[in-house]
Amino acid sequence: MMTLIFGTLVLAFVVARFGPRWLAMSFLLACLALSIGLFLYEIYSPEYGFRMPWLQVQRNCVECAFGGRA
Amino acid sequence: MNARLLSRLNDLFAFTMMLAIAEILTFAMILQFREGEIPCPLCLLQRVAMFGVCFGCMLHFRHGASVRNDALSMLFGLLLLMISARQTLLDIVPRPGHAYVGSAVFGLHMPVWSVIIATCILLAYTLKLALLGTDNLRDDEEKTELISSAQSLLSYYVIALCAINFIAVVLQCGLDACHTTGYKLL
Repeated sequence: MMTLIFGTLVLAFVVARFGPRWLAMSFLLACLALSIGLFLYEIYSPEYGFRMPWLQVQRNCVECAFGGRA
Repeated sequence: MNARLLSRLNDLFAFTMMLAIAEILTFAMILQFREGEIPCPLCLLQRVAMFGVCFGCMLHFRHGASVRNDALSMLFGLLLLMISARQTLLDIVPRPGHAYVGSAVFGLHMPVWSVIIATCILLAYTLKLALLGTDNLRDDEEKTELISSAQSLLSYYVIALCAINFIAVVLQCGLDACHTTGYKLL
């Protein structure tokens, strides 16, 4: 997948320099779509989905910070 | 603002932006090949986003100033911000299997730098559009040979960087998922 992404990117650059604009844009948009797809695939976890449960905000932390006077 | 001056400032902005990103990508590749730091999949996607910003600048060099080119660069700047912010949050709590990859530069790891870089890119484009505007945007002014040569040279350099990255990705990942353990085809 990553190889395909960089392949379309190289093609987009080469065509942008030497070829028609519409073709370069087509390759770039293909590259963008593949990149977004791979990004979503990489961050998806079968266990957590797209959530990040390691980031926790504890309600009593404000009290901790102010020595229980908050 | 004078149309000629506006055209020159637009050229200067696109050139500076592309040069800055080319330097960052060159530095990343030096770390990869000299220090042996193999990039992770999200790191590679951040490089793609940086190349996307350069793509908008390259269209500017070839086809002239246009808001569409700037919008394209800003779109990839936003993609860079999303990917790097997510990776920063992914590794912000060290735990088994999750830690920032690579060495820290001035105390910050690569995804954190990418957040800063993406913010700077979006801020720069916003300021450019706010200060220069698009009302008198014309690009029928003749460019000097020096400007044209510099723009062509920088474009070829970025294309070469992209091609080298492509070869490195083929060696690292082949046609499967990418891993940071080594180069699959070597």
